[in-house]
Amino acid sequence: MPKGYLCLVLHAHLPFVRHPEHENFLEEKWLYEAITETYIPLIHVFERLIEDNVKFRVTLTLSPPLLSMFTDPLLQERYVRHLAKLIELADKEEGRTYGSPFHETALMYKKRFQEAMFTFCDRYNRNLVTAFKDFQDKGRIELITCAATHGYLPFMMLYPEAIKGQIKTAVDLHTRHLGKPPAGIWLPECAYAPGVDEILKECGLKFFFTDSHGVLYASHRPRFGIFAPIYCPSGVAAFGRDIESSKQVWSTQEGYPGDYDYREFYRDIGYDLGLDYIGPYIHPDGIRIHTGIKYHKITGKVDLSQKQPYNPRQADEKAALHAGNFMFNRQHQIYYLANLMDRPPIIVAPYDAELFGHWWFEGPKWLDYLIRKIAFDQDVVEMATPSDYLQNFPCNQVATPCSSSWGNKGYHEVWLCGANDWIYRHLHIAAERMTSLANKYSNARGLHRRALNQAAREFLLAQSSDWAFIMSTGTMVEYAVKRTKYHLLNFFQLQKEIQGNCINEDNLQYLEYKNNIFPDIDYNWYANRTELPKAASL
Amino acid sequence: MSVLFPWLFWVLILVAAVVFLWPLRRTRTANKNEYENLSPPLFNEEFSEELNPPAALSSHQLQRPPEPELPHCYGIDRMVLLARDPHWLFAYWEITATKQDEFTNNYGPEAWSATHPVLRIYDITGIDFNGKNALGYTDIHISESADNWYVQVGKPDRSFCVDLGRMFPDGRFITLLRSNAVTTPRASLSDRLDEEWMWIEGLYRTIGKFQFGTSSPMIIEELAMRSAALPLGISSPGLNNDK
Repeated sequence: MPKGYLCLVLHAHLPFVRHPEHENFLEEKWLYEAITETYIPLIHVFERLIEDNVKFRVTLTLSPPLLSMFTDPLLQERYVRHLAKLIELADKEEGRTYGSPFHETALMYKKRFQEAMFTFCDRYNRNLVTAFKDFQDKGRIELITCAATHGYLPFMMLYPEAIKGQIKTAVDLHTRHLGKPPAGIWLPECAYAPGVDEILKECGLKFFFTDSHGVLYASHRPRFGIFAPIYCPSGVAAFGRDIESSKQVWSTQEGYPGDYDYREFYRDIGYDLGLDYIGPYIHPDGIRIHTGIKYHKITGKVDLSQKQPYNPRQADEKAALHAGNFMFNRQHQIYYLANLMDRPPIIVAPYDAELFGHWWFEGPKWLDYLIRKIAFDQDVVEMATPSDYLQNFPCNQVATPCSSSWGNKGYHEVWLCGANDWIYRHLHIAAERMTSLANKYSNARGLHRRALNQAAREFLLAQSSDWAFIMSTGTMVEYAVKRTKYHLLNFFQLQKEIQGNCINEDNLQYLEYKNNIFPDIDYNWYANRTELPKAASL
Repeated sequence: MSVLFPWLFWVLILVAAVVFLWPLRRTRTANKNEYENLSPPLFNEEFSEELNPPAALSSHQLQRPPEPELPHCYGIDRMVLLARDPHWLFAYWEITATKQDEFTNNYGPEAWSATHPVLRIYDITGIDFNGKNALGYTDIHISESADNWYVQVGKPDRSFCVDLGRMFPDGRFITLLRSNAVTTPRASLSDRLDEEWMWIEGLYRTIGKFQFGTSSPMIIEELAMRSAALPLGISSPGLNNDK
C-alpha cells in the first residue's frame, strides 16, 4: 500500500461560444485554440500512457458547455477549417524560417498541427468526447461533471430550483454522452455555499471540491485538515485543495510555468509579422489575434522584444526536471503527513485544464513525465481519484464546509463587485419566473413545451459565471455584458409569450437553432412543489 | 432674333445633355435597384444616393436601432441580501410605487419627503428572527437614489437580516422591505472540536501561512493586467475598435 495519494484534477471548461450567425467570431476561436493547444495534446498524453501500459488515475471535468461544443457538427466543421488554415500557415513558416534559429520550432508546430488533424478527424471522427470516454472506459480517467453552464451556485442559494436546474441538466447531458452518470462534480469556480451539497446529493453526486479554506474552515475543525475528505451532513464528500502543490504550478512568480526556458505566450506571429503575410490567418477585418505559433522563450524579466528564441529540447528537459521536483515534494509532504494520520493522506491538486498547453505550453509534457515517474520511479505516492479514495476509506469526519471559492481573496468578491453586481437583480427574477413557469405548466406539449425548454436554455446561458468573471477582469467586458443581457432578454420574451399564449414560432425556431445547447433539457427540473423562499417575515 | 438666340443655345445644350446623360441615368437606375435589395435607401431623392453610396449609408448615416435593454424594475417589492465574504454583505432592492403610496397613506402626504432612507442591519445569529428579537442592529443612512448597497459588517460566521425603511426626524423607523437572512462565511479555523475527533497540531504545520486564490481566476487577472488581453489570446472586435 502506498503511503499517500495524489489526486490530480483537471477542470476543462469554456463558456458556450457557438455563433452560427457569423463565420469569423473571435470568441469562437477560444474553443479552437483550446482544442489545438490543450485538449488534443492532453489526449495525446493519455493515449501514449495507455499505449505504454503506464498505470495512472486522473480526474477530469468535462464541463457541459464543452461537451456540447465538442459534439456540435457546425463547430466541428469550423474547427477542421481553422486547423487546415493553421497547417497552411505552418507550411509557409517552414520556408520562411529556414536557416534561422526558429526553424526547429516551426517544424515542431507543423508536426503538431498535422497530428492534431489526424487525431481530430481520423482517430475520433471529429468528436473528442469519444477519446475521453475511451480513457474512462479503460479505467484511467474519472470523468466528472460541472454545473450546466458554469453558473455561480452560492448566489443562487435563494432559489434552490435554479441550482437544481444547473445540476440536473449537467448530470443528464454527462450521462448521455459518457454512458454513465458522474460520481462527482467540480463546482464552478470551486464555489461552495452550505446547502449546495444537498442538491448534489439529490442528483446522485457523491463528492465535490472546495478551496483549501472551504474544508479547513468547516463548521467543526477537520481532524486531518485538507488531507482527507469530510462529509457534509448530507453525506456528500468535500475534498479540499492542497495549498503547496497548487502554488508550485499556479503561482505566476514561483510556479513552474514561469520558467525562463518555457515558451513565451505573448510573442505570437499574429502580432509580430506584417499584415501582407499574416493577413489571411488573423481576423478578416485585420484584427490581430494569436495564431498559436510562437517562437520565443520567456527568457527572463525582459521586454517582449528582448525575448530569445525558443528551444523545444531545452524546454522539454525543464518539464522533466519540474515533474521530478513536483513528485519529490509530494513524497516529502506525504512522508510527513503519514506519521500524523491513521490513514494515507490524499493530496488534491486541481488545475484548469487550459493551463496545460494553452498558457503553459509544456504543461502536457510535464504531466506525462510526472505520471510516468510516479508509476515507475517510486512507491510512496500513488495516483487516485476521489471515488478510489472514498471506496478505500469510507469513514470520514462530518462537518459543513465553509462558503468559499478559489477566486481572488477566496470568497465571492470576484463574482460580486461593482463591475457585475447588477446582473443578480435580473438573474434572480429570472430564476423565480423559471420556477413559476415550470410549476404552472407541468404537462406542456408541442409548441409550449418547446418554448419552456428554450426558456430554460436561455436562463442557463445567462447564468455562466464566465460573464461575471470577464466583467470583473475589465477586458472584453462588452461581450460578456452582451451575452448576459441577450440571454436574459430572450428568456423574458419567451416567458411573456408562454404566459400570454402567443408563442412566436419563427422566433422560437431561430433561438432553438442559435442557442442549441442541451437538446434534451426538461424544464420540469425547475418545478418546485413548495413555496418559493420569501423574505423573513415582516 | 438677338433675343431668341441665347434661348435656342440653352435649349440645344439641354437637349444634348439629355441625349448624352440618358444612358448614364439608366445604369444608375439599375444600380439603385440592386442597392435596394441590399438595404432600403434612407432618402428617395437621387442626389442623396449619389452623394452617399448605400454601403456608406448603412454604416454611417443609418442609426442602428438601440440595443434592447433589460428593465430596470420588475414591479415587485423585494430586497435580496447576499454574503460576499466574511466581512461584507451586498443588498439590492426595488420599491414599487404602490409601496410608496401605502406609506404615504399611512403616514400622511408629507411623510415621504420628511423622511430619509435607512438600512437597518440586524445581527440575528442563532435566532429565529421575528423583527424584534435581533441581537443588535446598525443603521446606515443611504442616499435617496440608491437601489443597492455594500455593507461592511466585519463579522465572519454571523447571520444577518436587513430592513430598508424610512426614518423620521424624531428617529422613528418604518420598515418598507425586509431581506432574506444570510450568514457570512468563516474566516478562520473552527474552535468546535469534537471529543471523538481530536485536533492534531502537526497536520497544520505544513500548511503554514497561505494566500487564497492562487488559481486560474487569479492567474487570468494577473496576466490580463499585465498585457491588457485575456490570456486566451483573443479580444473582441468591438474592444479593439475602442483602442
